[in-house]
Amino acid sequence: MMIPFGHALAFAAVLFVLGLTCVLLRRQILMILIGVEIMLNAASLVFVAASAYWQQVDGQIFSIMLMAITAAEVAVALAMVVYLWRRKRTLIADDFNGMRG
Amino acid sequence: MNESLLFLIPLMPLFCAVINMLFGMRLPRLFAEVMAVIGVASAFVLTVLFWGYAEGEGTRAVLFTWLNSGTVDVSFALNFDRLAAPMTLMVTGVATLIHLYAVGYMHKEDDYARFFSLLNLFVFAMLAIVLADNMLVLFLGWEGVGLCSYGLIGFWYRKLENAKAGTKAFLVTRVGDVFLGIALLWLFAVTGTLSISEINAQATSISSGVVLAVSLLLLLGACGKSAQLPLMTWLADAMAGPTPVSALIHAATMVTAGVYLLCRLFPLVSLSPVAMMAITAIGALTAIYAATCAMAQREIKRVLAYSTMSQVGYMFMAVGAGTVAGAMFHLLTHAFFKALLFMTAGCIIHLAGDENDIFKMGGLRRRGPVELFWIFLAGAVCLAGLPLTGGFFSKDGILLALFTHPDPTYKIFWLIGVVTALLTAFYTFRLVYLVFAGEYRGTGHPHSLPLLMRWPLWPLALLGLLGGLFNLPAFVGGGETLHHWYDDLAGRAVTASHEVEWMLVGLAVAIAALGWFAAHRRYRIYQAPTENAVTRFLLNGWYADALVDRLFVRPFTAMARFCSSGCDRSLFDGTLSILAKMASGWGSLLTQMTTGRLTTYLSTFAWGFLILLGWFLLKLVDGGGH
Amino acid sequence: MASLLFYILGFIMLAATLLCITRRNPVHAVIYLVVSFFALALMFYLLGAPLVAAFEVIVYAGAIMVLFLFIIMMLGLAPQETPEGPGWQRWLPLALLSASLMICTLLLILQDPAAGKPIGEFYLAPQVVGEALFGRYALAVEVVSFQLLFATIGAYMLGRPLPKGEDS
Repeated sequence: MMIPFGHALAFAAVLFVLGLTCVLLRRQILMILIGVEIMLNAASLVFVAASAYWQQVDGQIFSIMLMAITAAEVAVALAMVVYLWRRKRTLIADDFNGMRG
Repeated sequence: MNESLLFLIPLMPLFCAVINMLFGMRLPRLFAEVMAVIGVASAFVLTVLFWGYAEGEGTRAVLFTWLNSGTVDVSFALNFDRLAAPMTLMVTGVATLIHLYAVGYMHKEDDYARFFSLLNLFVFAMLAIVLADNMLVLFLGWEGVGLCSYGLIGFWYRKLENAKAGTKAFLVTRVGDVFLGIALLWLFAVTGTLSISEINAQATSISSGVVLAVSLLLLLGACGKSAQLPLMTWLADAMAGPTPVSALIHAATMVTAGVYLLCRLFPLVSLSPVAMMAITAIGALTAIYAATCAMAQREIKRVLAYSTMSQVGYMFMAVGAGTVAGAMFHLLTHAFFKALLFMTAGCIIHLAGDENDIFKMGGLRRRGPVELFWIFLAGAVCLAGLPLTGGFFSKDGILLALFTHPDPTYKIFWLIGVVTALLTAFYTFRLVYLVFAGEYRGTGHPHSLPLLMRWPLWPLALLGLLGGLFNLPAFVGGGETLHHWYDDLAGRAVTASHEVEWMLVGLAVAIAALGWFAAHRRYRIYQAPTENAVTRFLLNGWYADALVDRLFVRPFTAMARFCSSGCDRSLFDGTLSILAKMASGWGSLLTQMTTGRLTTYLSTFAWGFLILLGWFLLKLVDGGGH
Repeated sequence: MASLLFYILGFIMLAATLLCITRRNPVHAVIYLVVSFFALALMFYLLGAPLVAAFEVIVYAGAIMVLFLFIIMMLGLAPQETPEGPGWQRWLPLALLSASLMICTLLLILQDPAAGKPIGEFYLAPQVVGEALFGRYALAVEVVSFQLLFATIGAYMLGRPLPKGEDS
């Protein structure tokens, strides 16, 4: 593997920005969640690349942890999606403004 | 008998008051009434039984230590001495008769428990004043009678006027009480004790300036309670209370508390000639003021109220002239005949169908029980000072004391006293003629008179008529019993040649007769009341209320309004509300950021991320150098 | 060869992600995302992390994405999202600013001498990772397992039938 470390980071950065764009631009809650997943994967890529760069095991460990936590997050988030759908029959984020001050 | 049993005298009424207060409405009505009467009657009987204890130096009984702090040691103590004993006997005796009368008078009233418990509580407080060994117990009673007076004047509180009259009495007497409180504390500061006997004993060692100031403060305190100028406006309005209350509190007992206070501290007060002069002057001015007002009043109870003020003025004059015995003598006879007049007035109002206006009465001699007229007449001749009645002797004694006073200024007061006597005779017989003579002019239906309202009048009538026997002057062969009983407490001995005494008696007889004659001329045949500026002036009590309103109430209200709207509402509330508006403005600004929409939060999030990123970049550029 | 493969996979991943976030139909978006995750899994493998690569496929592409698909199909979500109208203009300043900053960041990363150093040959057997997980990081694993338990309970609570009257 003779690719520079910076290139791996650049891929991760672009991936992160794509995820962020998705979160900010999409209006459906499901798509916002997908954006979050993309951003988490970008973080995962940084961990693994760093692990290889410094020849350490910890980066990979953390990317595995990240996956477990993501699984938990997705479980709750999707349950919420179902709950919101049952309450309002819509998943457009801006339709929910019950917390308006 | 044990001397500590003396406490039963005030505590019996208190006990019955508490019983009535707690259980009065749950027990049969008869029980409440019997309790009330027993409370005062037992106090009366006890006073008679304990009479011997008062002789000599009197008996001091300590119930418990009230305050004990450093050098201050105030006991709840009573002092049953020669000055207190007759007063106690009078208060309990008259109160017993009035309680019996009240049972009859209030027999249709539903709220009897409150009435009787307040009445009994009043008797307790009054006895506390009379029997107090120290100024603090006296002050307790002093405030207690004020409280009961307030509660009883406004007894029918559902009518706003009554409640207002009660408040007025409370507030005006409170003004006097403040001065009394100051005097009390000043005396304590000077003598280091609150005991009345010790204060009197130390009186000569107090500097004369302090004696004068304290005496004037005591005088002002007495003025409040005794409705003397300038704190007299409340008494006429106090007639809003039930008639037994007027008879007991506002005629016989409470209003004389001021006189009693001055007599109690006479050894102190008499040290200052200026203070004595002030007392006499206040008494004289009140006497003539109230007498003129009484001439124009239309309501029977207000006539009697003003006459009470006037007669208490005589008592003040007596104290000022240095004769405690004379003051107490007039106090006792006045208590009898004035209570009698009020109770008879209650019967008259009953007979006239709850009509108060004497111009709508008339002819009551034939409408009611025949003895009512004679009983009222008995009270009236005492008040007018017709010869040989109790009021004649007591008033004559006061006038004699004023006339023979070494200071020639007192001749002026004597003259005022004489003129007042003339006016008194006139308005008294005006009352008699308007109420009893001629034809009935009212429209009311007479109520029946319960027996209990009729027979308590007899003992009072006898006491009033024969009251002179208590202190019959020497020149008519009397023994001056009361004077000898008081002995060293009696104040200045009034000595005059028999010629002067007979001359004054002749003058008094002539004046009483003149007053009767004038009233006879004017009111024997009914004429409608004249309405002009003078009568209006007198009817409204010289517009004293309006004057007080101008001088004190309105400036005070204006000040209060300035404090409330000027300071409090504009300045403080304004500042606070500006602050509050600022906070709420900021709040609503922040509220707009809280849209409750996910996108808003996410974009804010993104902006924050952007700023962080920019900062990192700047650091990188700075630190890296490439 | 491996380096070339890395770049190819990287661009496939970015392209698939771009397609994913622009789809109107959520099912299509999820499919593209699965593609992106496959490419990412291979990149992990190339970076010497076979275990993470396997988990990426099993957990992400397998479990999580399938869960997304289940939900989409269960709710019967049509491509109902209306195209962004004025929204674009609203995001424009943010987008421009972040894009320029992003480019600067990329340039700086690529210029950095440390970033220019190549990643050396590295391979971590799954056994080593497992030993580390259940050795040094045992406590963290326990904590994460609790988190999963709580998430399950939370999901169950949210999934209960609505009380009457709360349904719109």
